[in-house]
Amino acid sequence: MADPRLDLLLALADDELILGHRHSEWTGWAPHLEEDIAFSSIGQDEMAHARLLYELAEPLAGRTPDELALGREPRDYRNAVICERPNGDWGYTIARHYLYDTADDVRTRVLESSSWKDLADAVRVIRLEERYHLEHANAWFRRLAEGPVTARDRLARGLEAAVGEALALFEELPSEEELVAEGLLPRSNEEMLAEWLAQLGSELEEVSLDYVLTSHTRVGEMVPTSSGEAEDVVSLEVPGIERRDGRWVHVGRFAGEGGRRGRHSEDFQPLWDEMTMLHRTVPGATW
Amino acid sequence: MTTATRTLRDRVREALAAVPDPEIPACSIADLGMIERIEVTDSAVEVDLLPTFVGCPAKDIIGEDAARAVRDVAGDREVRVRFVYDPPWTTDRITEAGKEALRGFGIAPHWERTAAPVVVPLTRKPQAVACPYCGSRETAMEAAFGPTPCRAQHFCSACRNPFEGFKQKDRGGRR
Repeated sequence: MADPRLDLLLALADDELILGHRHSEWTGWAPHLEEDIAFSSIGQDEMAHARLLYELAEPLAGRTPDELALGREPRDYRNAVICERPNGDWGYTIARHYLYDTADDVRTRVLESSSWKDLADAVRVIRLEERYHLEHANAWFRRLAEGPVTARDRLARGLEAAVGEALALFEELPSEEELVAEGLLPRSNEEMLAEWLAQLGSELEEVSLDYVLTSHTRVGEMVPTSSGEAEDVVSLEVPGIERRDGRWVHVGRFAGEGGRRGRHSEDFQPLWDEMTMLHRTVPGATW
Repeated sequence: MTTATRTLRDRVREALAAVPDPEIPACSIADLGMIERIEVTDSAVEVDLLPTFVGCPAKDIIGEDAARAVRDVAGDREVRVRFVYDPPWTTDRITEAGKEALRGFGIAPHWERTAAPVVVPLTRKPQAVACPYCGSRETAMEAAFGPTPCRAQHFCSACRNPFEGFKQKDRGGRR
């Protein structure tokens, strides 16, 4: 059986790689030059963080970081589906950026105290850089939420489309029980999700956008890219988010679930085709 | 440890001090505080370096340049240069000479900032970063993201020059 640490590393690294790839697609196209640079730079950071995590995975997987990043079949990528969605408009981009980076902040804070020192060290370094991403996301979130009605409306529509799938960033990992028992993952995804959702709920309440937590837009269909789990046709229904005792809590399933087991959306394949093209065309190429 | 190995250690340190950051040629990797450990044994020289930013495109080049520089003085010994992440590199590792070299290159060494709140690219909070050209503190960060992962963009209201600043990295930096 594979090392449970691989489940954890690939989930973290693939999230950063795939979202980093999406960020890089803003290069040259963002609403203004500073944002071209910002998303390009954030994408560069995320891919570097992925590489650092793939380096930790190398001895466990017996594959180099390049092979892990670019040499796997689509069904072997473990990113959450939210990361592979196209950038959409600026409202969706900022909504996802904000949801991802606030969620990532929760999980990396937990992983700083992982019993696996190499991972804790890597995460500590990563967090010093993620701080800038989080501030960027928060600043834009505020700017759109408190901005003119068009900006606010586009952010709200982006949140409606993204929030359900963002919850699945905290979907249970295949070997989660073992990871938690050994302190490799000091807190379960369920606990981290509860913390993040409570924080998200109160931040959305502050700007009167909490209605997006119970109002969803379907993003797209899930497609069978994984190991037979696709017959299980589920999960684009509204994920259960409810307000109980003054807190927002998650109940039930996730929208876009299955990412941690290699199940992806129809948006993954075109991304993979482009991202891995050079690697497939010229195996072993360096650049 | 014999006198000979101690001397070799010094020579390794000197060799590393001459390795520039390819993206900031005025500054050596020693000035930037990237050298964490030098270990000389009878058969090997080991060097641990701390990357400033994980995504620094110059990282691999720095590793190769450092290994080459050490090999020049290491004789028959095997040379091993690697990057490590404990402790995390922070801006306060930059030496006084490094700060001076950065300023001369038009980059503000960023930890001079005194105000606690961190910069965001949109709010233009006044920063206490001194302009590397005229020394004025009438400056503001324009954008947290610049030409390299480690540099942000500032503007000096006094001399009307844009300039870059090393991004702050400190362990207590999280809010």
